Amino acid sequence: MSDTPPFSTSKLWQAKIVSSVAFSLCVACSAFIIFLLALITGYLGYIGFSSLSLDFFTKDPTGDVFNPGGMRHAILGTLVLLSMASLVAIPTGMAVGVYLSEYAERSWLASVTRFVCDVLAGVPSIVVGVLGYELLVVPMGNFSAFAGSLALAFIMVPIVARTTEEMLRLVPNSYREASIALGATKAVTIFKVVIPAATGPVITGIMLALARVAGETAPLLFTALGARLLSFNNFFSDPQPFPSLTAQIYKYATGPYAAEKQLAWAGILVLIGLIFVINVLIRLVVARSKR
Amino acid sequence: MTNQPAQEQPSPDSDQAADTSVALRHRPSVFSKLVDQSLLTVCRFSACVVLLMLGALLFVLVKSSWPAIQQFGGSFIIGTTWRPNPLEQPARDAAGKIIFEDGEMVTKTVPPEFGALPVVYGTLLSSAIALVFAVPLSLGCALFLVRIAPWWIEKPVSFLVEFLAAIPSIAFGLWGLFILAPFLQEYAEPWAKTLLGGLGVFNWMFTDSANRPISLTGRDMLCGGLILGIMIVPIITAISRDVLRAVPRHQIEGSLALGATWWQSCVEMLKYAKAGLFGAVMLGFARAAGETMAVTMVIGNNNQISPSPFAPAQTMASLLANEFAEAADPLHQSALKLVALVLLVMSLFLNIIARYLVVGGASGKSRE
Repeated sequence: MSDTPPFSTSKLWQAKIVSSVAFSLCVACSAFIIFLLALITGYLGYIGFSSLSLDFFTKDPTGDVFNPGGMRHAILGTLVLLSMASLVAIPTGMAVGVYLSEYAERSWLASVTRFVCDVLAGVPSIVVGVLGYELLVVPMGNFSAFAGSLALAFIMVPIVARTTEEMLRLVPNSYREASIALGATKAVTIFKVVIPAATGPVITGIMLALARVAGETAPLLFTALGARLLSFNNFFSDPQPFPSLTAQIYKYATGPYAAEKQLAWAGILVLIGLIFVINVLIRLVVARSKR
Repeated sequence: MTNQPAQEQPSPDSDQAADTSVALRHRPSVFSKLVDQSLLTVCRFSACVVLLMLGALLFVLVKSSWPAIQQFGGSFIIGTTWRPNPLEQPARDAAGKIIFEDGEMVTKTVPPEFGALPVVYGTLLSSAIALVFAVPLSLGCALFLVRIAPWWIEKPVSFLVEFLAAIPSIAFGLWGLFILAPFLQEYAEPWAKTLLGGLGVFNWMFTDSANRPISLTGRDMLCGGLILGIMIVPIITAISRDVLRAVPRHQIEGSLALGATWWQSCVEMLKYAKAGLFGAVMLGFARAAGETMAVTMVIGNNNQISPSPFAPAQTMASLLANEFAEAADPLHQSALKLVALVLLVMSLFLNIIARYLVVGGASGKSRE
């Protein structure tokens, strides 16, 4: 290095050229990612739109492969699964979030819980499906809506917990101090001051979790399995395979019939549309609450 | 904050307080103390539930794969054959000749074999292809977002990248199955074959172990890897963006002040944030390894080890998706659960390292 002069013009030019090449590569990378996104959503949207009709939402499967009807049962099935999962996962997840943010920021239980939440969020969803199979399908003797929603709830809890914690953290400490100074108890402070101040963002976190599990297929394969009929007969006593949008799409897409494949495309479009709307809503809510 | 917040209640019998304020006269009743206590208990209990969830996951998988663990032990991971069904084979004598008895071929039944190496190999190779595709792209995009884009470009681009993360796996699978795989089959792979196939060095890419040409179907390791690559771009981009943003300004300004070009200062930035960036890559790796539906639809589902990226393959997750619901034989079931356990342990390991690197590296500082 010592024999090169400190201001070699050729080196300088070299560095400048390298720099501008790298600069353009960075721009190109971003453009390529956006291009990929446009390619994927554009194609799914294009095909999906052409196969989407009102029947898709209003008709059940007919069993006829050339005229397969619609996916009403699967849409309702997904809604039922999501509500059952939310019923368990949202209170649990929120309680964990409250614990982490309000009660025990630095205790060992809190740091272990935070760590485990992060780790659970990275567990492959298919493994969660295996757990649901072992815990509910094997003892009950059949695939069921309960097993499916348990698997979904398992995925939701860590997401809800961590986002609730982060959102409650954004509430200024002065709110809590003021409330306690007025003589409110801890519980009253949490329910009447902290949570109301963070309602928007907390709902955002819940929506985020819902959007994530609405598109899950893998955990449902071994738990709810999917079905051609939505039936609530003997819902509790005699568990039956339960339909869901994603499982139905998977079945149709990998099957041999063209008309069913069309339904799969339409189903994907509905799913992505739903997730897009949720994402936009989240952006708006977060932008408003940060102001 | 402590568990019991200091509740210094003004005594209600102090004259001034009683006169001036209604609120100060309030003293928590037995009821509200009970509510307070039970809320804390419920919250603490829920935190324990989270720990229990992880415990249950590990316990149930170990318990239900115990028969397979006992039967195979450590050789499970290095077994090269995954064949869930018994095989009828012609029996051979010591010289390797097929034995005939009364003019009929004598057959023997080979029991099923469960070795996880093909799927472990498939998982690792497809994730590696995904990383090769995704890491440069994501780092470039992260640098663009942090160092180049003004806010009115940065915001929508960030949104679009995050939206890419929200697209369900099965949508990528459908797209891969109907668009990417046919494209690879008709254009990319024949083109690669004419370009590289003539050179003897790349022969292994286009022939199988018996030296027969591989039929290019498009549904192969390469397609699985590419789809995975597209799917992990958002997570690597988002985390490396946050990590890069947490690099102190003076680090960049210092290098610029010393006369560094734009790129040289970026290199300084990348060097400074390398632990966090490595964590981001690990998270992407973990995501790719555990991804199921998209891979199942495009990878070709063949339990064989082939060095060629154009041969159909199988990952741990896709093996589970394909065989789990139909496995009737208890040993087969147990072996599949052992595969699930291996996958879980691998992703836990990757996630823990990644979390340590990302939180310990930079994003801990970025949180105000």
